[in-house]
Amino acid sequence: MPGNATSIAVEAGHLHKRYGSTVAVDDVSLSIDAGEIFGLLGRNGAGKTTTVELIAGLRRPDRGTVRVLGLDARRDRARLRQVLGVQLQASHLHAALTVTELVRLYRSFYPAPLDAGELIESVGLTASSRTRFAALSGGQQQRLSIALALAGRPRVVILDELTTGLDPEARRQMWSTVEDLRDSGVTVLLVSHAMEEVERLCDRVALLDAGRVVALDSPAGLVRGAGFAQRVTFRATEPVPDGLLERLDGVERVRVDGDRVVVEGRGDLLQAVSVGLVRAGVVVTETRSRQATLDDAFVALTGRRLENEEEATP
Amino acid sequence: MTDVAVHRPGLRSWAELLVCELKMVARDTAGLIVPIGLPILILVMNASAAGRQELAHGRTALDVYVLPLVFTMVVATTGIINTPSFLAYYRRSGILRRLAVTPASPAMVLVAQVAVGVLQTGLGIAAAWILALLAFDAQPPVRVGAAVGVVALTTAAMYAVGMIVAALAPTPNSAVAIGLALYFVLGALGGMFGGRDSLPGAIGAIGEWLPFGAAVEALSAAWSGAPVAAAHLIGLSAGVVIGVAVAAAFFRWE
Repeated sequence: MPGNATSIAVEAGHLHKRYGSTVAVDDVSLSIDAGEIFGLLGRNGAGKTTTVELIAGLRRPDRGTVRVLGLDARRDRARLRQVLGVQLQASHLHAALTVTELVRLYRSFYPAPLDAGELIESVGLTASSRTRFAALSGGQQQRLSIALALAGRPRVVILDELTTGLDPEARRQMWSTVEDLRDSGVTVLLVSHAMEEVERLCDRVALLDAGRVVALDSPAGLVRGAGFAQRVTFRATEPVPDGLLERLDGVERVRVDGDRVVVEGRGDLLQAVSVGLVRAGVVVTETRSRQATLDDAFVALTGRRLENEEEATP
Repeated sequence: MTDVAVHRPGLRSWAELLVCELKMVARDTAGLIVPIGLPILILVMNASAAGRQELAHGRTALDVYVLPLVFTMVVATTGIINTPSFLAYYRRSGILRRLAVTPASPAMVLVAQVAVGVLQTGLGIAAAWILALLAFDAQPPVRVGAAVGVVALTTAAMYAVGMIVAALAPTPNSAVAIGLALYFVLGALGGMFGGRDSLPGAIGAIGEWLPFGAAVEALSAAWSGAPVAAAHLIGLSAGVVIGVAVAAAFFRWE
């Protein structure tokens, strides 16, 4: 089906991978369109990196198939290496070589590489071009790693934990680099556990949990799966009269846990709740309002939060 | 979309990698001590003990027994212990994994490593040779061409054995352990801790066919002007062939 292959950049079908008794990837199927930024989001250990390694042909799946631009990830490896750029999580480079030396080395592997100077400039490392890899900061190492992934003018790029360990400024720089990639027609597979990054960059996102795809949609579509649009929480210094909140405009759900109250709904929920409480003469403190996020969608789907440090207490 | 032509990195890329590996070694000063310092140390320790009387063609025990042993040890140390552990470090740190997603082939890394190792070994042998000439009145081999050929074949055999270690060892730790163990077994059977004559008959005979023993015997023969036995050349060649075959079949990026 050559006509079909032109619009789909990455096609993974029913991937399974098991390490000993641990199932790392359990029947994962993905179809990534050419030119889109596709996010793979999940907690640590959800199987993101293994999925990426299967797609990059670094590991052999126990079952299932991977095709990148129509090339089989294992059988057509030599061709795949020329069109696929990969930035691997936590992989090191020759520690004693400088930025320029590493860029020259990696360029030499490809038939029509990008210009070394422009490549270094594009990730903001021109001032450090004579610095050895071991002496670069974590963010600089990360940026160099991305530059090397782009050296061969790839048509598909895999970026694993793109901005982990970067400061906010470097993170924004990295994001605009990725957007430039999409604008030039490159397909990007972005692996992340940072919701903000995925919401900002990705056209579509697959949520991975315990080796399975639990949801696949646009970021906005996934957020709708959270089951609410707005959430207002506050502490009531006295009991809120029964039914008061439920009658307000846009309120869909109310949970009371001691003096802590959670109101979920849509529209201008904060405004509606504040006015309602003031009219009833109820004094509240610590009022907070926020929109539903991908994290809320993740909780709704899996019962747990995405970020490890804030475990869910439902 | 499947119209991608297979492009293998060319000579320029091999040269680039070789230069990079050389820079890595040159900037790792501590790593230079073993290949260059060790031969000199072994030579100094053994040279004064070797007798001064001539054995054949004006060559002394130093020339016929000590120098062949020293040269073989240098080649075996870098080939069987150093190179596999360097590759194991590359593998553990993810450098090989990173290269595995580029069009670079494992063969490029192996060849560059071997080339750099051979260069280091050459430096070490040269330093030992100059010292032996100046301080201990060493004589060159009677059959220089044969000696050079044997050293070259020995180098190939020792690196091939090292590549087996690099290809089969599951972890960096085991690469060093297996390399050391193999080095001492081959060395012991090849006369590193006293002549092979003192080993039980069958074991001594096996040791003569293995790369270490074969190298010492062949080099010793070349030095004293005796013909190099076919058995030793066959033993070394078999080491090369088996090593390359096993490494090519089993070497993995991670």
